Amino acid sequence: MESIELKNTLPQVFASRDSVESDVWHKEIALQKGKLYLLEANSGTGKSSFCSYIFGYRKDYQGIICFDGKNINNLTTSQWVDVRKNHISMLWQELRLFPELTAFDNVLIKNNLTSFQKKKQIDEWFEMLGIADKKDAKIGRMSFGQQQRVAMIRALCQPFDFIFADEPISHLDDRNSEIMASIMMAEAKRQGAGVIVTSIGKHMVLDYERVLKL
Amino acid sequence: MRLVWKLLRQHISVPQFVGFLFANLFGMVIVLVGYQFYSDVVPLFQQGDSFMREDYLIVSKKISTLGSVVGKTNTFSSGDIDEIKEQPFTSQIGAFTPSAFKVSASMGLEGAEGFTTEMFFESVPDHFVDVSLDDWNFNEGDKEIPIIIPRNYLNMYNFGFAQSRSLPKVSEGLMGMIHFDISIRGNGKSDMYKGRIIGFSSRLNTILVPEKFMKWANSYYSADAGVDNEPSRMILEVKNPADENIAKFFQSKDYETEDNKLDAGKTTWFLRMMVGIVMIVGLLISALSFYILMLSIYLLVEKNASKLENLLLIGYSPVKVALPYQALTILLNMAVLVVALTVVSLVRNYYMDVVTMLYPQIETGTLCPAFALGILLFVAVSLLNIVVIKGKVMQIWQRKD
Repeated sequence: MESIELKNTLPQVFASRDSVESDVWHKEIALQKGKLYLLEANSGTGKSSFCSYIFGYRKDYQGIICFDGKNINNLTTSQWVDVRKNHISMLWQELRLFPELTAFDNVLIKNNLTSFQKKKQIDEWFEMLGIADKKDAKIGRMSFGQQQRVAMIRALCQPFDFIFADEPISHLDDRNSEIMASIMMAEAKRQGAGVIVTSIGKHMVLDYERVLKL
Repeated sequence: MRLVWKLLRQHISVPQFVGFLFANLFGMVIVLVGYQFYSDVVPLFQQGDSFMREDYLIVSKKISTLGSVVGKTNTFSSGDIDEIKEQPFTSQIGAFTPSAFKVSASMGLEGAEGFTTEMFFESVPDHFVDVSLDDWNFNEGDKEIPIIIPRNYLNMYNFGFAQSRSLPKVSEGLMGMIHFDISIRGNGKSDMYKGRIIGFSSRLNTILVPEKFMKWANSYYSADAGVDNEPSRMILEVKNPADENIAKFFQSKDYETEDNKLDAGKTTWFLRMMVGIVMIVGLLISALSFYILMLSIYLLVEKNASKLENLLLIGYSPVKVALPYQALTILLNMAVLVVALTVVSLVRNYYMDVVTMLYPQIETGTLCPAFALGILLFVAVSLLNIVVIKGKVMQIWQRKD
């Protein structure tokens, strides 16, 4: 997948508004593979909706969203499964981890599906992010900041053309967010993927090629 | 898959599944035992190899007192015969033709004065005769008439009459050597013939002569020659004498049969009805238990909806997500099938002991009917489970509540 195009896309809840001032909504924009984007947004401007639309999780929008020119409304179930497994990785704001499983199992459940990363690599990431000692701890017992790091590792355990990170560092200190950013960028670079980071204020310090105001 | 299972087995209610297991087992055992018992016992009434064996019924109209007084006819019209012919259980039908002339037979030994008796003849189409047909022919001008008498007559003589009078007993072979003098009168003619007994019939309870002779004699000696006499008895070849439709049909028409062959049909009917009721109860229990299983799976899916959704969002396909629950139900169904078949086999051993004691001639069949039906039910129920669970997961995929 080379690009994600939005054509006059607008969440249905905004449809009644007189004017929408945004770089994304009701515009024609294309996100290119290999580029780094920052999506800045205030609360309630549809940041999470944006991620959900692109991931096929929600469909309550007007206009058209396309992958390489193909309207995503026409994707079949198996095509969506392929997109989620091999083309787009999503780090959800609400993380969507499984509290019943340990940190390591949360990563494995994804990596078992894709068989993408080696166990050594996963171990290394746990080490780098300072949660190696929490590998066997249940997610439910970990702080949100720690969970964010686990979710990031899980997001990297798949091939992707684009990675979306929805407020990835909201609960992290600067040092850890720096490490996380470097891990993510290294993997994205290795895969030649596009990166889209969203933020409502505090954001990863990176050389963004384009900043979009939502 | 291990991790997925670890996730999805959360909230599994063991009591619910045990409840399903027992209810389904109960229903399945009832259905299978009913069916197996039916398949085991019905051959008793079908009298073995119904493929090879043909069965004959002799049918007449009931003679009632009132009918005799008002002179109601007890013969079969051609309409009656056609109606019987059209019944699905009939394969062939033949009429008994009565003689329309007077017959008397006399027997004497070595010129000594014997006894004379008035009698009658009947004939049926040749292929209904259950005696070797080698001597069974008559040509116009012949002075000898082959005769078949019921085996009962011989028995009656041997074990009744001869026994009480200390007379010698007569074998079938000896009987064949005795010649009767037969005198036939009618239409102003009178002739003497020789009668020779060529065989004994267990099927036909009458004094039988070849149909060819009867046709000729009826036209020759009968005053109203050319008028077809309506037969008062019919012989019927049926496909399966245990067919309950035969009894029903005869009952509705007020026809009678000579022996109790139709009782098997009635018994089979009752047996079928009872087994039917039992099986319906069993199926009902099975259906309810299936409902329990579906409800608990629904509940499980609802409780684990967020987990299922997250699995779908990290790239698991609906097929993969549905698989653990489908496998779970199939495993449960299979367990039920295995236990049910074991129970059926135990129960069968028990009742077959009794049945073989009562009916030693019964062929001890196999468990195949129960196996076949059990597997059929298992496949049907499992398929239904698979479809329903897939549907439920797809609802989550499409985010429909």
